[in-house]
Amino acid sequence: MSESVKGVGATAEAIAAAVRSGSVSAEEITRAFLTHADQTAGKLGTYLHRMPEEALRAARAVDQRRASGVPLGALAGTPIAIKDNICIRGIPTTCGSKILEGYRPPYDAHVIERLRAADAVLVGKTNCDEFAMGSSTENSAYHPTRNPWDLARVPGGSSGGSAAAVAAREAPIAYGSDTGGSVRQPAAFCGVYGLKPTYGAVSRYGLVAFASSLDQIGPFARTARDTALAYNAVAGPDARDMTSRAEARPVDLAALEGGMEGLTIGIPRDLLEGEGLSPEIRACFDAAAAAFAAHGARLADVALPSSKHAIATYYLIAPAEASSNLARYDGVRYGLRARNGGDLRAMYERTRGQGFGREVRRRILLGTYALSAGYYDAYYLRAQKVRTLVRGDFLKALSGTDALLLPVTPTTAFGLGEKVEDPLAMYLNDVYSIPASLAGVPALSYPAGFGATGLPIGLQLVGRPFAEETLLRIARANEGWNDAATKAPPIAAEVSA
Amino acid sequence: MPIDARTVEKIAALARLELEPAEEERMVRELQAILAYVEQLQAVDVAGIEPTSQVTEGKPPALRPDEERPCDVRDEALAQAPDRDGDYFRVPQVV
Repeated sequence: MSESVKGVGATAEAIAAAVRSGSVSAEEITRAFLTHADQTAGKLGTYLHRMPEEALRAARAVDQRRASGVPLGALAGTPIAIKDNICIRGIPTTCGSKILEGYRPPYDAHVIERLRAADAVLVGKTNCDEFAMGSSTENSAYHPTRNPWDLARVPGGSSGGSAAAVAAREAPIAYGSDTGGSVRQPAAFCGVYGLKPTYGAVSRYGLVAFASSLDQIGPFARTARDTALAYNAVAGPDARDMTSRAEARPVDLAALEGGMEGLTIGIPRDLLEGEGLSPEIRACFDAAAAAFAAHGARLADVALPSSKHAIATYYLIAPAEASSNLARYDGVRYGLRARNGGDLRAMYERTRGQGFGREVRRRILLGTYALSAGYYDAYYLRAQKVRTLVRGDFLKALSGTDALLLPVTPTTAFGLGEKVEDPLAMYLNDVYSIPASLAGVPALSYPAGFGATGLPIGLQLVGRPFAEETLLRIARANEGWNDAATKAPPIAAEVSA
Repeated sequence: MPIDARTVEKIAALARLELEPAEEERMVRELQAILAYVEQLQAVDVAGIEPTSQVTEGKPPALRPDEERPCDVRDEALAQAPDRDGDYFRVPQVV
């Protein structure tokens, strides 16, 4: 058994190959990751619910299948963390909300079925902003999650627990959901890969809905190839989600080795000139563009003029959809019910008033307002029209390029408590991630470097619909000259040394 | 289109959301700030532009045959009930 596979620094690709070949058991791998996470997860607040017994049982079942001659799947014996808004049968699923405290879904999400079929090992439900609404994981009703690179800083959000779990080597792969940047932004803050697939690439059956026209499930990983494996494991059509698409084909891992030759990378100059982009991220961006060119890519200036309105558009569309999706939490069938008496209507109002946190209440009110009589045309309908313009810009820019290069965030990870009292300041942090969400196109956050204080910097590659392979090919090429993705945060190094 | 305490009360009632009086004041302030920011969309020329309610690239999955299928989760689902009477969810009196 090779040490590199036994340790928590192993990639999913190496683990699955070793488990399939029998050089290491899924149980040994799982124990190693669980023991490591015993030391890191409490300090970071990664999980809302860990699943050590279930994980070991699943791992032993994988080992038994191998022993009985069954060919194992692409993620054989690979520990995987799951954001707490994705349903696992019988396992608590709270979405970081008090209103779902104690809820145990009676079914598996589509992605969970697929991961079980790939012989993966689920290790826990990760912390997140309540109902995926937030950019820091501070809106979890249970506890915040800390950034593995600096425990005084946020990991980003809303999928902060999943990003932290992968950065801290608690699992080589985790899944989150991305509505306006909730996979890409925490990936950037934690120095790992985070992929928001094309809208329609992954079935949302079993993902608790936030804003249905934007929600997409995506993976976190520490290499481009692992990100591809994790995407392949869950992508493709599912009749239980009518937005899912057969056009979502598996990424060919051999094609990821194609390099930069022949590719054209679009540079959206107008977005970069906006206020607030920190000089160190701008410098990292310029260095990345120069390196792409030096390795054979052609650079082309493109324009995304309507994206300056993306945040305003998003903060009408997403709350409107959320106010509708969250109407189902009524205290009748599952989760919290307020105990302080009253009639049916008072029970609804008290349950929702007590069960939803402040950010969720604010978005429900904003969404209800945007959809209410007299305001629908001015707000919701107008936002949907601007969305058409934003998408049109992307399709035009991508018609002459293979991918666009963007920042993910204006700054590196901010401090815990720094923005939580100012909702608008928190929203403005999403300026570079929201446009691709509105456009429905795939976007990958990849580790590109580090800022002056040693915090990770992520950059974003945005592609044509269903061109995930192109984005991962560019990211894989970047690994040839850039070692940012290989660095481990101090907390992971300390405990595994 | 300024938003005031009365409007917040009205939309909170529509959304079946109880707000503490102190929170109501705060919500008015925060919603005003957000609505002032999104006001920028009023200046965008959207004449003749179709709304995008959802990106619908590609072909939807085929509909499954309309056949009865078992769904054996009744006990698991009922076990989640905050208040239950046999096979029923119990709610406060309605009439």
